[in-house]
Amino acid sequence: MIHLPVVKAVDRKFEANPDEAPTEDIRDAVLQLEKEGEWIVPRVPEPFMEEKTKFGRIKKIPVEKTWHHKSCGQCGHIPGYSTSIFWLNRAFGLDYHDPTDQTSCTAWNYYASATSNPEAQAAVAMRNFAAAYEVGYFPIIHCGTSFGHYKEVRHALVHQPELRRKVKKIMERLGKPMVMPEEIIHYSEWVLAMRKRIAERQLIDMSMITATVHPACHYHKLIEEDAIYDSEIYGAQRSAIITSTLQALGIKVGDYSTWFDCCGFGFRHILVSRDFSRSFSVQRKIEVMIEEVNPDITVTHDTGCVTTLDQSQFAGKAHGRKVGLPVLADSQVAALAMGAHPYKVLQLHWHNTDNTRFLEKIGIDHEKMWAEFQVEAEKIKRGEMPYLTWEDAEKNNLFNKIK
Amino acid sequence: MGLNKMALDLSTNKYADVSYEEKERLFAEVKADARWNHVMYGCYECGICVAACPSARFYDFSPRVIAQAAAREDVDLVYTLMNDSVWDCSQCFSCDRCPRQNSPGQIITIMREVAVKNGLKTAKQALEGYGRIIYKIMSTGTQVSPDMLQPNAFPDWGGHVKEISDNLEVWRKALPPETLHTTETGWQITDKTIVELYLIWHMTGVMKLIEGVDEGLFMILVDVMEERLADAGYDDVSFD
Amino acid sequence: MASENILVIGGGPTGMEAARGIASIGYKVTLVEKRERLGGTPDASQYAALTPDMRSAEEAIDEMAAAITNNPNVKLMFNTTVIDSSGSVGNFKVKAIQEGKEITIDAGSVIICTGFTHFDPGRETQKYGYYEHDDVITLVDAEKMLKAGNFVRPSNGEIPKQVCFIQCVGSRDRQIGNEYCSKVCCGISSKQAIEIRQHVPGCKVFIFYIDMRMYGYWENEIYWPAQEKYKVNYVKGIATEIVKKGDKLLVKGEDTTLRRPMEVLMDIVILAVGMEPSEGTKKVADIFGVKKNKYGFIETIGGALNTVSTDVPGVFAAGAATGPADLEDCVSSAGAAAMKAIASLRLTSVPA
Repeated sequence: MIHLPVVKAVDRKFEANPDEAPTEDIRDAVLQLEKEGEWIVPRVPEPFMEEKTKFGRIKKIPVEKTWHHKSCGQCGHIPGYSTSIFWLNRAFGLDYHDPTDQTSCTAWNYYASATSNPEAQAAVAMRNFAAAYEVGYFPIIHCGTSFGHYKEVRHALVHQPELRRKVKKIMERLGKPMVMPEEIIHYSEWVLAMRKRIAERQLIDMSMITATVHPACHYHKLIEEDAIYDSEIYGAQRSAIITSTLQALGIKVGDYSTWFDCCGFGFRHILVSRDFSRSFSVQRKIEVMIEEVNPDITVTHDTGCVTTLDQSQFAGKAHGRKVGLPVLADSQVAALAMGAHPYKVLQLHWHNTDNTRFLEKIGIDHEKMWAEFQVEAEKIKRGEMPYLTWEDAEKNNLFNKIK
Repeated sequence: MGLNKMALDLSTNKYADVSYEEKERLFAEVKADARWNHVMYGCYECGICVAACPSARFYDFSPRVIAQAAAREDVDLVYTLMNDSVWDCSQCFSCDRCPRQNSPGQIITIMREVAVKNGLKTAKQALEGYGRIIYKIMSTGTQVSPDMLQPNAFPDWGGHVKEISDNLEVWRKALPPETLHTTETGWQITDKTIVELYLIWHMTGVMKLIEGVDEGLFMILVDVMEERLADAGYDDVSFD
Repeated sequence: MASENILVIGGGPTGMEAARGIASIGYKVTLVEKRERLGGTPDASQYAALTPDMRSAEEAIDEMAAAITNNPNVKLMFNTTVIDSSGSVGNFKVKAIQEGKEITIDAGSVIICTGFTHFDPGRETQKYGYYEHDDVITLVDAEKMLKAGNFVRPSNGEIPKQVCFIQCVGSRDRQIGNEYCSKVCCGISSKQAIEIRQHVPGCKVFIFYIDMRMYGYWENEIYWPAQEKYKVNYVKGIATEIVKKGDKLLVKGEDTTLRRPMEVLMDIVILAVGMEPSEGTKKVADIFGVKKNKYGFIETIGGALNTVSTDVPGVFAAGAATGPADLEDCVSSAGAAAMKAIASLRLTSVPA
């Protein structure tokens, strides 16, 4: 025991004080503009959950009546991601809406190619918000980039009356109202806020699992003050997103020295300069995680991050790099913990990096489960059933040996 | 799997063939953007942006040099960077933590937009091979669709992509959410939604932007959109 | 009836010097201090050596305290907090709580010497992990260790081999809302760097900075010796983030002069935290209705020509209550405030 006149980090407690926040609370401005008749502000449906953001402000997170703003990358290339989010809602018997009157935020293209402009981007956002309002549900956004981008759009619309005027004109032409939700919510915030309820329903023990976390840049770096923070997690010095959720499920979260680094996605890079994405992802993220933590999985919460971290490992392996780390979304981990089927719900066959060792470690007979999925797939192939229904996915779902 | 780092040439005569007036005009367009005053203040070269920057590790790329050039209003240098540097940025906005509250990432977003709008050769080069993506997002409202998972498009993702493309129809139908059985779009989107998106592209000048950077793509998009817009009763899609 | 008494609020270097000045001219002064003793922040935070002359802080503070202790013109009131004020120049009635009891102090004029507080690095926009890692400490922590003569890694008690300072933490930062320079941190870091090199000669010391603010004699008395005699490494470019790597700290930044990203392992990282107005400064300013600037420091009204008058007649402010200040600034402005406070008293007591 050494005695020094210095307080140890564990005894330094930081509680953010919202009165000392250096930024305006944009939500006040949003409500003020509602008073001035500029737009409609749908409130977070009650009863809502509450979590703290960077400066200690309270963010309201809806439980249900959620309008799921899907992600093009998730739905297109890793569809078990969105399926798991819906599965969780269904498992809790919550009312949600999976819309067809929804476009992507189009920000991936915007950040990649600049072949758009602020008016178009704001109009796309407002069209989607209006679509949610029209059916009476509250937007919850699956993609980290859509989430970050919409917050940028909100900021721009609040501070640029001229932009507001232009977008209003477009909305009039579309016959849609101007709508700005009370809060902009990322789905992983919902998963985090639901963590205790998820843990109560946990069927699969995950206490032997070590994970690393990769937070999406557009989640915690774009308008960072709106990200979830927790004085118990990283001393409230970094966002608690994902970490808090995993810890609630009993998973050990290991820290590594490139936590802040991006995944290598790069928007245009993942499409047309892929050598950059591959190299960065493998050398700055996956290898560092393996060397420093040697985790069973790495968990993230965004389209681009799951894709880049997962798919880049193939080329890494070919180059003899230290790879082979399964990449999952927090929604998949949460659903799995509650007994969701790894193939019918998590749809892990869309992922590239081998995840069978992880499944074995938590006691899942993945060969049996895959055979179960194949039975359904064969039926579809033979035309005996049009598609896999929720009922099909949910039967045999809770692992018999555990029940 | 290292990358070839191309050295960035910052000498003043790099683009001597372009007149100072032209470079000045483009910089003025950048500065006239409504976001400019919120993303560019001044730079005391603390280097926080560079250490946070993924692109700086793999390219001869520096968000600090971009901010510094913009802060000094160095017209020649800004022009060089607008051509030779901005497309290296990952747009992750890690540089948003700048203590001066600059956003080199957003300065770049604006510079890229101006480069595209003005049809700079380097912008066209940067977007080569990217046309199919623009086509996808603008015509369908989702940027990534399942049918893009073809082995020739993603050779570096290994045999896994072939397995997906071989099973695509069945695997899509083996997804419980009813909206996800699509292959040409990420999810099922109503016609009305798409028409509304087309209207937005037209009314905000995005179509014009595409015309300037890729005329072939523009023609195809017009082809796709015209009929559906007309069917929906939108003949005049201009924006005053 | 006009009061002949001057009230000094705060018993740090500024308050002590103001009280000494007033008493030396023969006027009565009441000094209230919320702690149980004189000395203010240098005492509470256990400063070791003063910048730039390396004189023992304790010795200097003792000397200042001695000058007003048992002084017939000075009434010292400890454990006393001002809560309210009424009246105006020449006749202030100031209410305070002394050890749980409410008292009233009559004063003709008032000098606010309530000082600053060190920036809390938990509020960083930059990711320095002060609340995560034992070996990330502040200038204040380092000062305490240097005073105790035991400069070791807080995590394991080992002697450090590599130490760095990161400048401008909480200062010159628009995102935090503190755009100002805190003035003293460059000098204090350099002073501590020299002390570390003296205590632990085998330890390499780095200072990561944006601009070195070494005014006047600080240049030749600290900056040059630190570089030339003590071989402290000055690198232009501050850190972006501090993360753990093994049992060391990995500091990531850019060496901007050499234009290269920099990732270096450190045993101890010292954050050069800047100054913010103390809670007392903000509260007392409100009690007297004195204008504060956007940072919460008390605003003086005369620009460079009058650094101590506030917008309330008869109420003056000195030292770090008015903005970042070093000891020299504090003592100088305390003298000016004492003079102006006496002048205001004389003007109000003499019929016009």
